[in-house]
Amino acid sequence: MKTPTLFVLATLALSVGCATAIPPKELVVAREEYSAAARSPTASMKPAELLTAKQELDRAEALFVDEGDSKATRDVAYVAHRKTLLAESTARTAAATKQMDEAGVQFGSTQAQRLEDTTARLQTAQGTLKDTQGALVRSAADLDKEKVARVEAERKAALAMADLQRIAAVKKEDRGMVITLSGGVLFATDKHDVQSSAMPQLNQVGDALVKNSPDSTITVEGHTDSQGAASYNHDLSQQRADAVAAYLVSRGIARDRVTARGIGPDRPVANNGTVDGRAQNRRVEIIVTPKP
Amino acid sequence: MMKLTLLSVLGITALAACGGSIPPPNENLGSAEAAARSAKEVGADKDPQAALYLKMADDQISQAKDLMRNGDDAEAGRALYRARADAELSLQLAKEVTARKLADEASAKARAAKEVK
Repeated sequence: MKTPTLFVLATLALSVGCATAIPPKELVVAREEYSAAARSPTASMKPAELLTAKQELDRAEALFVDEGDSKATRDVAYVAHRKTLLAESTARTAAATKQMDEAGVQFGSTQAQRLEDTTARLQTAQGTLKDTQGALVRSAADLDKEKVARVEAERKAALAMADLQRIAAVKKEDRGMVITLSGGVLFATDKHDVQSSAMPQLNQVGDALVKNSPDSTITVEGHTDSQGAASYNHDLSQQRADAVAAYLVSRGIARDRVTARGIGPDRPVANNGTVDGRAQNRRVEIIVTPKP
Repeated sequence: MMKLTLLSVLGITALAACGGSIPPPNENLGSAEAAARSAKEVGADKDPQAALYLKMADDQISQAKDLMRNGDDAEAGRALYRARADAELSLQLAKEVTARKLADEASAKARAAKEVK
């Protein structure tokens, strides 16, 4: 009876001996890794993969209980550890994929917004272009009108000049169109009433001015030669200018357009030393300034 | 006599149970080699972590083949069981590297697009 008991005891001892208290390094590492993974986002992101790892770890624990630090315990613990790492990597990969997708959506959204903005700017630019083109067309029309008006004004001025040139000496100066009428023709010596013989000429001047320069300003200047007292000459020239101005008004030129000035001997046009020169200096100038 | 035999049988069974948890090598050889190949294809050898587990897988596969040649299927089975886990982990780590790279590129592109005036 001793041998069988010994044999049984030996078998029991061996069986008990399989379940030693100190876990192998592989099992310790597997437990730690699983514990960390269970507390990390892996648990929520990849529960299936983590469960697989847990199942392997449970198998390793069971083996450890049954067999202690056996090769199988170590192998299964080793694989449980790898499966835990795999679950964690899968979770990180899923997070990266999600980030990529979100970035893609953001990019798409930015591009769509940019397209919208560009389209809006293009439409605004097109609107501005249309307005500008419209304005250009209107300006061109206005320019044409202006041109026509200018041509017409020039035509009228040329006509006026031509008309007057038939009647009197006309010169274009900076101060305007200057019609010079001889003092000797208009007035008797020392007189300031317009002679009737001069009236036809003056009539024509007046008519031409009324017809061709309706808006101009008219300045009538009386001039004398240098003979006699200056004050006398100033008075005479003023009176003569007034007379011609009054005559022009009587021919239809508006009163407010006409100014009369006596210049006296102050602005000779010829040499007062000769008979001819003095005759030239005795004159009336009608200066026609167009409306500005 | 019956009691003794029964207990002995139980004892032998207990001893046998100490090594019967790992599948035979044939199943795992194909899977381990396939996983290691896939890992290489996705560039596992270029990432330090992935490369580490790939090397472990390759070494154990090699070891298993030697063991099988010598008739030690049990040990070969264990080596392949571990090798397969290492190869699958290596493959997953390599995929993670790629996903990370793509995510970083997409984020950079989205940021750059926002900054353009």
